[in-house]
Amino acid sequence: MAQTINTAVTRTDAPRKVTGTATYAADFMPAGMLHGALATSSVAVGTLTGMDISKAEAEPGVLAVFTRETLPDYKSVKGFYAGGPGSASFWPMNESQLRSYSAGPGSASFWPMEDARIRYAGQPIAYVVAETAAAARRGAQLIEATYDIAESTIAMDPADSFVIGAGDDSDGMVITKGDVAEGLSVATQIVDSEYVTPFQHHNPMEMFSATAEWRGDRLTVWMPSQSVKTLRSGIAKAYDMSETSVRVISPFVGGAFGSKAGVTPYTMLTIAAAKAMGAPVRLIVTRPQMYTVATFRPESVQRFRIGADAAGKLTAFEHIEISQTSQFDAVVNPGTHITRAMYACPNIHTEQRLSRSDTNSGGFMRAPNEMQTFFGLESAMDELAIKLGMDPVELRRVNDTDRHPVADVPFSSRSLMESYDAVADSFGWANRTPEVGSMTDGDWLVGYGCATATYPTNILASNARVRMHSTGEAYIELAAHDVGTGTYTIMAQIAAARLGLPVEACDVVMGEGDMPVAPLAGGSTTAASAGSAVHDACLKIGRQIAAQVSAMSEGPLSGVDPAAITLENGVLKASGGQSQPLIEALASTATGQIEVIGEFRHKAMTDQMIKTTFQGGYGSAGPVTPEMAMFAFGAEMVEVRVHRWTHEIRVPRLHGAFAAGTILNRKTAHSQLMGGMIWGIGSALHEVTEIDTPRARFLNTNIAEYLIPVNADVREIRVEMLDERDDYVNPLGVKGIGELGIVGTAAAIANAVYHATGKRLRHLPIRTSDMV
Amino acid sequence: MRNFTYHSPRTLADALDAARESGGDILAGGTTVVDLMKIGVREPAALVDITGLTDLEGHEIGPNSIRFGALARMSVVANDQELVAAAPVLTESLWKAASPQLRNVARLGGNILQRTRCPYFRDTAYAQCNKREPGSGCAALDGGETSHHAVLGGSSSCVAKYPGDWAQALIAFDAEVHTQGPGGRRTILFADLHLMPGDTPEVETILQQGEIVIEITVPVVPALKASHYLKARDRESYAFASASAAVGIELDGDTVRDVRIALGGVATTPWRASAAEDSLKGSPLTEATAREAGRIAFAEAQELEGSAYKIKLGADVVAGALMTAKSRANGGK
Ligand SMILES: Cc1cc2nc3c(=O)[nH]c(=O)nc-3n(C[C@H](O)[C@H](O)[C@H](O)COP(=O)(O)OP(=O)(O)OC[C@H]3O[C@@H](n4cnc5c(N)ncnc54)[C@H](O)[C@@H]3O)c2cc1C
Ligand code: SF4
Repeated sequence: MAQTINTAVTRTDAPRKVTGTATYAADFMPAGMLHGALATSSVAVGTLTGMDISKAEAEPGVLAVFTRETLPDYKSVKGFYAGGPGSASFWPMNESQLRSYSAGPGSASFWPMEDARIRYAGQPIAYVVAETAAAARRGAQLIEATYDIAESTIAMDPADSFVIGAGDDSDGMVITKGDVAEGLSVATQIVDSEYVTPFQHHNPMEMFSATAEWRGDRLTVWMPSQSVKTLRSGIAKAYDMSETSVRVISPFVGGAFGSKAGVTPYTMLTIAAAKAMGAPVRLIVTRPQMYTVATFRPESVQRFRIGADAAGKLTAFEHIEISQTSQFDAVVNPGTHITRAMYACPNIHTEQRLSRSDTNSGGFMRAPNEMQTFFGLESAMDELAIKLGMDPVELRRVNDTDRHPVADVPFSSRSLMESYDAVADSFGWANRTPEVGSMTDGDWLVGYGCATATYPTNILASNARVRMHSTGEAYIELAAHDVGTGTYTIMAQIAAARLGLPVEACDVVMGEGDMPVAPLAGGSTTAASAGSAVHDACLKIGRQIAAQVSAMSEGPLSGVDPAAITLENGVLKASGGQSQPLIEALASTATGQIEVIGEFRHKAMTDQMIKTTFQGGYGSAGPVTPEMAMFAFGAEMVEVRVHRWTHEIRVPRLHGAFAAGTILNRKTAHSQLMGGMIWGIGSALHEVTEIDTPRARFLNTNIAEYLIPVNADVREIRVEMLDERDDYVNPLGVKGIGELGIVGTAAAIANAVYHATGKRLRHLPIRTSDMV
Repeated sequence: MRNFTYHSPRTLADALDAARESGGDILAGGTTVVDLMKIGVREPAALVDITGLTDLEGHEIGPNSIRFGALARMSVVANDQELVAAAPVLTESLWKAASPQLRNVARLGGNILQRTRCPYFRDTAYAQCNKREPGSGCAALDGGETSHHAVLGGSSSCVAKYPGDWAQALIAFDAEVHTQGPGGRRTILFADLHLMPGDTPEVETILQQGEIVIEITVPVVPALKASHYLKARDRESYAFASASAAVGIELDGDTVRDVRIALGGVATTPWRASAAEDSLKGSPLTEATAREAGRIAFAEAQELEGSAYKIKLGADVVAGALMTAKSRANGGK
């Protein structure tokens, strides 16, 4: 591998970010721009019976107050995104199942302001346009709405749940292999437990915003987005426009985590308002409104029944996940697809269920299928280890497997136990004394816990344009996204390594809808998929230049069979030993520059998957293909301290070891994994969207009361990245790392809390109040 | 836009005039008052910015009393090493409050007058809140989320928690508040400043409209030196107290001569636990008596849905704080 890969390269966009010159979507302010503001419903369920907008209209600076009666041309794109073809490959279903099913952002089958129905608190009911943002917000505050209020519930009732999909093995939502009852009957020990996770909101630093400008029948939208293609094709579809008439611009994103993945009602309202006003309009959603105008992590209940024989080998594995969805969508984050890939077991039953309540629709949030389910699974494994009197690491070891337990195909690579061994070493797991409460330090009870992490390797079709100049620069362009993760840098590194250029000489532009297709930034796909397209483009450049120079009458490669020439670290090398630096070869050609489109297609990708991705959907050929199962693995170990008097829970040490194929950039990868682990601390101990039950509202809708870890909560975090080679997943050998870090943390912490105190907490977050 | 008049007087007399004539709110650091204006809970016709009254900054440790100007900054006072040594409870309770950014901006006069964080008070989408709209009802008590509400001092009208930390140190050590208002200068025992909600939760203090806090004084007593503020919170920094205790002791050999206990995060106002203090006076301070004092401090607590933990937690925090104070009284840390 070339030198720039697998090294620690500082982000190429860092200077722009720290000097404030990186332009985020809301920084683009077209001339004559007006300001929008949303007014939202204060009740959860009912009918809007009236709205007095006179005070808002009289407010100085307010230009228009649009209600459902007066807002012209407001278009929805129902069922567009994952409810469309995208879901077919991710969660295979037949047509009739698809109709009753939708997932995630942009797919809501109910759009606000289409009629007088109120279906969740915080639902947009009016859109104010004004000369200033302050006037718009004030106008929105002055709207007085009256409602016919109906009964509402915000927390789901797990007893009232339903199976999503066909209810049999055909769509993966319910799977049975062997006979769980029989497996339980031969078990020596059984864990039969239920784990509960709360509503959580992404709370990215950068607020949601949308700016729309019409010029005749051409439309430009600036919006922070994880998927500019989805956004562009959704808007074009709604307005019945050609995609080329719609520009979508999102060069930088200030955190997304799943919250900026779709086409949302506030986007379409802003587009409609701009059209009606004949002027550009920018909406910046307020922090409290961010809790109800996009998505969130739905609350869930994870039921496990796991049996094992005396040696710890699993004899039965049952996982039923019930997660919350709105009254009008069936949003499912199928975590059972992931848990059943973990451990060898002859008898497996998993079930994906939903339960409805009165909220906006949930969606994806960092490790959407894994965070909740692994809190359950890995807590249950810890409980099982304790029942068996086994070391929890050893329990994982005896159940490790090199074949997917349900699909019965091999893992393309699986370094789970290597991860455990590495982290046990760095953490000092051997110093753990197994008895509960046996480790103390002054007023602190000390506990050690561990858990497995995994993340599916999703691979999607991608293209990328690369242009190289003989003067020594390359330009890389693709509709991928840097959501703060370092994508600009790794794309430059890949090109630099292949073309033999310095990283700084590779200029990457991304984040616009009309660039070469790249997948959405979700499911940890970008490095693997878009990166492989950049890699392919560079190899194509090598081949094309090789063909040209081999046909020349002179030069080091003159007359060599081009098929015998390969590009290695920026040098064209012939099998016969002749070689020429690519840049020199390029300089000797007539044009002195070359531009190609690289492609990433995997042999497991069907035409339908590719088409889906190209339409802005999620056509992943993974994690399980007909011949392989592709997952990244890791293990986390944590030291927890619980104070004798204040009952506070603190995390002085959290170590993780991960194997995720090729690590492109050791610095940004480290940050991703560390960031995931820190978020895991938050999920374990801090984060919860509190609810007001009688009025079915989210309560702590601000980042003073929605707790996330502060610096003082984050002490020693150690991240180890293991070498792992995987030639199957993609030409770069890359698996995703954006979400892997968060997956095991909550369970590891809960297990350590048990070890310290003997208290088994089966819900998140675990708070001081649980310790008294 | 919501308009208001902004006054920036340079003298106390001008400030008093501006406050009286405008009927507006006093503005110090603004971390409470501007926040409430932004979310539409306060809509004052005027703001009287008193930060130009630089005479009200500063603090001094005297032989008999410690004086704090109303405009002293939380961060400055928290970092005064002389005060850390003389009266740790007064610095620890500031140091553990809010965030560094807030402490740099917020002033002590504003700090003691901070408003509740009850989410129903802070969100005007809720029609019911007696504190915000007298007579409208209480959304918290009407089936709402009450795990962060007060277990001491509540009424059927309101159970909102007084969220501040420093006030607990002040009430424990018999601080006095010196004000100047329409009726002239007066001195108020800190314990008398805040009012329990009763039937009028909208009235939180005995201050009159336009009355300005000038300074706060704390009498120097031996227990101040062996004092401690212990705060239990759900994250290591930048979180309001789940339960806290401001304590101090003076020992005579093994027996307790003087002891101070106040409770934060659990009551509707700053809260002195006098009965718990009485239980210890003249007795030895041991882990058992400290725990007993903690239990007594919460003897009259009334739990709400989800708040029972505060009673157990609060008692443990009192006991833990007392053990640290004892160690300090014996020359330890
Ligand atoms: C996110 C967040 C977290 C926080 N966490 C904590 C915490 O953990 N612990 C804690 O104790 N506090 C906490 N606080 C509260 C913070 O300490 C107070 O907001 C701050 O101390 C108020 O001081 P100020 O100078 O900004 O007051 P202002 O906002 O200026 O004023 C507050 C009130 O006092 C009145 N006032 C101010 N000065 C005078 C005066 N001299 N005379 C008469 N009236 C006056 C004002 O009219 C207003 O009603 C937090 C606040 C926020 C926003
Ligand atoms: S507890 Fe007090 S502040 Fe909270 S809603 Fe009830 S009346 Fe309002």
